[in-house]
Amino acid sequence: MALNVVSICGSLRKGSFNAMVQRALPALAPDGMTITPAPSFAEFPLYNADIQNSTGFPAPVNVLADAIRAADGVVFCTPEYNFTIPGGLKNALDWVSRLPNQPFAGKAVALQSASPGPVGGARVQYDMRKAMAFLDAFVLNKPEIFIGNCAAKFDEKSGELKDETTRGFIKQQLASFATFIARVAPKA
Amino acid sequence: MADRQLDVLVICGSLRKGSYNAALARMLPGLAPPGLKFRTAPSFEKFPIYNADIQNSTGFPADVVAWADAIRSADGVIIVSPEYNWSIPGGLKNAIDWVSRMKDQPFKDKPVALQSAAGGILGGSRSQYHLRQSLISVDAHLFGRPEVIVAFAPQKFDEKTIELKDQTAIDLIKQQLAGFEKYIRRHVPG
Repeated sequence: MALNVVSICGSLRKGSFNAMVQRALPALAPDGMTITPAPSFAEFPLYNADIQNSTGFPAPVNVLADAIRAADGVVFCTPEYNFTIPGGLKNALDWVSRLPNQPFAGKAVALQSASPGPVGGARVQYDMRKAMAFLDAFVLNKPEIFIGNCAAKFDEKSGELKDETTRGFIKQQLASFATFIARVAPKA
Repeated sequence: MADRQLDVLVICGSLRKGSYNAALARMLPGLAPPGLKFRTAPSFEKFPIYNADIQNSTGFPADVVAWADAIRSADGVIIVSPEYNWSIPGGLKNAIDWVSRMKDQPFKDKPVALQSAAGGILGGSRSQYHLRQSLISVDAHLFGRPEVIVAFAPQKFDEKTIELKDQTAIDLIKQQLAGFEKYIRRHVPG
């Protein structure tokens, strides 16, 4: 079965470790799974119901929502900011959560995080699981991908994920994600 | 000598005009002990989405600096915020993310109290617990009890004036503010 998965990076900076993870995904995906980066949330205004009610949903919000709706699954690669979800990523979730035909409803989701610290972003993932539960997404359980002490795991120049153990874990997760997507997909 | 009046900064987590949380924030001066005076924090509405590349190329945006200065100069901070999707509103979290990167980080050792109003049965409590978790990372000191959690908010505010009219909630806020004054004085010298 051909699976179309979009990846969303929680960090906006160019040299982001999580963006490096995101770029590593296509090569680690199982046969039949295509992984493409989702449109950016960098230009979203901060959520304000008054904007939504006066001028409607900003165009970039609809673009991201459409990409999520059209995908069979979503993989988040996100850093942890201040022990929880980055504000920008949460703002993106807040915007799309208000749309009719809410794009995460019934969507298969997998979580990954990379961090220079030893915990590897565990707290952001557990908070993401809570928000995703509210949004009625189906979040993959295991294997979890926490890339701790991540700076040493990428090539300093190319930014390529070179740590074989981590690459192996991601392969396993994406293979499990393919099975999971098939399991939770709407049945004909 | 009487204790000096404490300067408390009020941050609202919602940007919309008719926000119940903004209404709650407006109630505070009328419910506070004489030892507290309140200031409304400048808005974080125009903060860009946090990006370390902005910080490293053009520095901290002026709005971020103003918000941080307001926090630094206060004796304490009260955050009155809704819950979005079982967690902290992204806009408020984005503001915290920005100032957390500053030298002389403004939340360090700052007494902070939390309040939330929400339409549901849990009254925004999940957002409060995520804020508690997040503000540990910036070394703030979080006030304990009583918690101010205004559940079923639409029933507790006047439909026209959006004024809080629920006596139980009003009493709880009074208790929290009286407790928060003592809490701040434990943390602030003089």
